[in-house]
Amino acid sequence: MYKRWFCSILILGFSLSLAAQSSPAQKKGDIDPGAMAALDKMGAYLRTLNTFQVKSVETTDDVLDNGQAVQSDRVVEILAVRPNRLLVEIKSDDVHPFFLYNGKNFTIYGQLINYYATVPAPPTIAGLIDDLEDKYGIDMPLVDLFLWGSPQSTADQAITSAIDIGPSSVGGTTCEQYAFRQNGLDWQVWIQQGNYPLPRKLVMTTLTEDARPRHSKLLTWNLAPSFNDAAFTFEPPKDAQKITIAEVTASASNDGKKSEKGGVK
Amino acid sequence: MNRSIRHLLSITFIVLLAGAPLLAQNRNASARTSVNKSANVNSNKNVNANVNKNVNVNTNQNVNVNVNKNVNVNSGSYYGGGCCYHSNTAAVVATTAIVTAAVVGSRVNTLPPACSVVVVNGLTYQHCGSTWYQPQFVGTSTTYVVVVAPR
Repeated sequence: MYKRWFCSILILGFSLSLAAQSSPAQKKGDIDPGAMAALDKMGAYLRTLNTFQVKSVETTDDVLDNGQAVQSDRVVEILAVRPNRLLVEIKSDDVHPFFLYNGKNFTIYGQLINYYATVPAPPTIAGLIDDLEDKYGIDMPLVDLFLWGSPQSTADQAITSAIDIGPSSVGGTTCEQYAFRQNGLDWQVWIQQGNYPLPRKLVMTTLTEDARPRHSKLLTWNLAPSFNDAAFTFEPPKDAQKITIAEVTASASNDGKKSEKGGVK
Repeated sequence: MNRSIRHLLSITFIVLLAGAPLLAQNRNASARTSVNKSANVNSNKNVNANVNKNVNVNTNQNVNVNVNKNVNVNSGSYYGGGCCYHSNTAAVVATTAIVTAAVVGSRVNTLPPACSVVVVNGLTYQHCGSTWYQPQFVGTSTTYVVVVAPR
């Protein structure tokens, strides 16, 4: 529908199309209830998944001092068993960490450096996610998958524009593509059509940086993974060395904006 | 040795000292990776910023391990302001600082050469010259914080 509207604008003439592009794209209140309902349905469905495995192929832009955006790739694999078991593997250029959580302890293991650290953890995945972020400054990959449809989700209230773009294929699966705007962020989600409304692709554009850095994820799901309970408890490999995790201090979160991707193995 | 060759050599020295691209760019920001957590955006940055801040704070005392950083960070302005005086200054600072001990609590991203691994009470330390480093995860990265000799 939106595509057709845009095409007709183009046909109307060059000047009119210019005018359409320079006018504010979407005002607050420009929300398609169908798009919001689809988002809620996806969230509610995600909350019904007690066990899932998901692989996410991701790209992220970093903005350099000179204002240029440069892209990096990573692959994240998550095995989640609600409410209290989690296995995460992150493969990127710089790091190859594993997170293991068994409802009692959280371990981070850096495979490239063969270091690990274990700390006591809250009794649920939700508690763990908060702890990781607040105490240790560790971002939980794919955190949205654990938040949509939960009381902690902030996305619904934040949305100022919601559009149904139409059907779109992701990796051969027919999805419905939706575009949302919220303060400082434009984002799109491709939700699988049919009885399994899973997010299959996500694209986020950060508007608060001039370079408009972009992040994308392509998701592959397995809703019936096989696993062994022992997989969630860390067994140190031979020669692995135990170290500690730095806790985030008040001053750490207030520090200046210069940051550097360094010291990573 | 004429002047330009000396100039070239001093620059070469700095380059060797740095061992990294002179025009290295800091990464200031990243794209958001979550639609639900706006705080999420900044946590990586904060942690990284902390690492970098400490490195900067300790520049003078701790140049032995931070030489690369300092040269990189300042290279733009050094070369923008003319060559030799600043280059030589950087070299002198680096050379003299090598004999200075690292300050406890300071944090570096890479260890100096020739360290030995020592395990004390189940935790791993790196003993480099007279300085003890404790490896730590900061986010998903690893840094080394200077500690007093463990026992």
